Amino acid sequence: MNLNMNSVESLVAQIQGLSGNIAELNQLRTYLKHSDDLLRAESPRLAPVLNELDPSVHSLGYLYILDACTSALVPKEQAKEFVLHIARFINVCAVEQIRLAPEKFISVCKRFKEHVLLLEDPIRGVAPLLTALRKLQMSSEQLTTLHPEFLLLCLLSKCYKTGLSILEDDIFEVDQPRDLFLYCYYGGLICIGQKQFRKALELLHNVVTAPMSIISAIAVEAYKKHILVSLIHLGQFSTGLPKYTSSAAQRNLKNFSQPYLELVNCYTTGNISDLEACVQSNKEKFETDNNLGLVKQVVSSLYKRNIQRLTQTYLTLSLQDIADSVHLNGPKEAEMHVLQMIQEGDIYATINQKDGMVRFLEDPEQYNSCEMIEHIDSSIQRIMMLSKKLTGMNEMMSCDPAYLGKAGRERQRFDFDDFDTVPTKFNI
Amino acid sequence: MASSSSSGLTFKLHPLVIVNISDHYTRVKSQSLPTNGGADESSPRVFGCVIGVQRGRTVEIFNSFELLYEPSAHSLDRPFLEKKQELYKKVFPNFYILGWYSTGSDAQESDMIIHKALMDINESPVYVLLNPSINPAQKDLPVTIYESELHVIDGIPQLIFVRASYTIETVEAERISVDHVAHLKPSDGGSAATQLAAHLTGIHSAIKMLNSRIRVLHHYLLAMQKGDIPCENSLLRQVSSLLRRLPAIESEKFQDDFLMDYNDTLLISYLAMFTNCSSTMNELVDKFNTAYDRHSRRGGRTAFI
Repeated sequence: MNLNMNSVESLVAQIQGLSGNIAELNQLRTYLKHSDDLLRAESPRLAPVLNELDPSVHSLGYLYILDACTSALVPKEQAKEFVLHIARFINVCAVEQIRLAPEKFISVCKRFKEHVLLLEDPIRGVAPLLTALRKLQMSSEQLTTLHPEFLLLCLLSKCYKTGLSILEDDIFEVDQPRDLFLYCYYGGLICIGQKQFRKALELLHNVVTAPMSIISAIAVEAYKKHILVSLIHLGQFSTGLPKYTSSAAQRNLKNFSQPYLELVNCYTTGNISDLEACVQSNKEKFETDNNLGLVKQVVSSLYKRNIQRLTQTYLTLSLQDIADSVHLNGPKEAEMHVLQMIQEGDIYATINQKDGMVRFLEDPEQYNSCEMIEHIDSSIQRIMMLSKKLTGMNEMMSCDPAYLGKAGRERQRFDFDDFDTVPTKFNI
Repeated sequence: MASSSSSGLTFKLHPLVIVNISDHYTRVKSQSLPTNGGADESSPRVFGCVIGVQRGRTVEIFNSFELLYEPSAHSLDRPFLEKKQELYKKVFPNFYILGWYSTGSDAQESDMIIHKALMDINESPVYVLLNPSINPAQKDLPVTIYESELHVIDGIPQLIFVRASYTIETVEAERISVDHVAHLKPSDGGSAATQLAAHLTGIHSAIKMLNSRIRVLHHYLLAMQKGDIPCENSLLRQVSSLLRRLPAIESEKFQDDFLMDYNDTLLISYLAMFTNCSSTMNELVDKFNTAYDRHSRRGGRTAFI
């Protein structure tokens, strides 16, 4: 026992000595890796050791000891202490040092999240995890394992706006596929919460079409929500999945979401009573999936769709007529709906209150202002960057051995153009 | 050997002469066998005659033709020259042989022999020298015109070459052809893309030149305002008249239409980029499916890239 404590002391001394520059840090990291088991064995007694180290200077060593401390199950009171320790550590740690041991950092943050949830105070974890995420990311285009954890905390603590700030970044690199699924799913939920349905649709679509060799439960849930959000935002849903969806998804997703597809069919008829009947019949299934709120939004969006359909037929309409054709209760309700739609930008119209007539207008955007030029210009810049990335990926794909092997196999034996034998198999 | 000419003659050079000399040189250089260039200098010298009109104090050089050079005798092929002269006289009765041309970086001693030989045709021939080495930093044309003058050096009267200044004079036909040569398109005729690229490059370089010149003027005016340079009123008047020529149209209707047109062009290029991206994305998805999706559609001929 004493021997072990002595080794811990020597370890602490090592950490304090070797935290100078990058060469020493590499040395320290190998040393710490060897001493990992020792640390785990000593975990209950390591808490006071933390006070001897300075987290901003000895970040790597502090990280290892923190990881060892929290690896054992901790009772609730100690959890509070640890939460404070970890939060402080995340705020002051040195970025280069923790990037040397990313898995340890991720596991520490995960335990932090568990502790915070254990204490039933998720909002405490939001800010530290945001800092941790930013420190771990190599570039703003990289997805780390901390992203979905952070989004989960945002969801549980209802801090949707902070979550949205992370969702603004475009992601181009992913470490683990499961991270991507969870990130897009939680992100979709946050966007639904903030009523940003377009972005929610995009994120949920990403989950559904992501490459997967076997169907995943996250994708099934995402598909159900995708159907509902698509009905709310676009007013329609196409059951065909795009060709970049994995074949596992294409075959199996529909089987798991039967009640939702029935809902789609009822929606497209445009009949409110049919839709409500359909909702009633499948109510328990929607409840078990926690989607009942969304389903109610779908029902209210049907009114909007029907009014929008009226703009394509009529130039002017009275409020009474609108109420009748959309099966609303009276002209007052119709006026409310139309007003709301004008405010949200779904429709362009003017209401004449004297005689209760609504005149439908065209989109007033003339495309002759300087702001529009800037807007289009920034879109062009973005698409140029995207195009460069795509051509890079395309070239990488052409050199991929898996692709070359399969492509060579599919060619016919003789090339029409030069009557040469075509290599049918690539030994790479 | 080269100092300023004091004869008081003004020289006008037509671009046809420059193009002729350059063409002659390029032809000879590309036809010369690569193994032969051991002893000689890497750039062969070409020779020829320049013809034109001399009216009073103005010497206008219109055209040129090639001549053969005898390196042993340091002389040009005389009978050939006379035959050519007769032929040209029939077509252009006004043109006289004004002198001769050659290529090189500087006038040489042996050139004086040729020069003196030509003096029986023309009392004071001119010598046009083209420097074929390409110097990207050089802004002026690498063409120099030399005259001969009798100077007393070390007590001996000698003919030496002196530099003369010249201007470039163009006829309308020459201007069009020079413009055409300057904008040589790629040899495959060009698809629409290469032609568009060439057109836009031309516009880009024109705008760049305009920009640099305006910047020079701006700098000059700033310095004048600060007081570093004495105020020059005639220049200021010229600048002011230049500025008053812009803008051509200024009205709200014009602004609206102009912005709408601009937006339309931007939208079209945006659409083109979108299509390009979608096509790349489509290829990428196809490749990905072939490589990684176990049950993708098989059969048929797929493109191999």
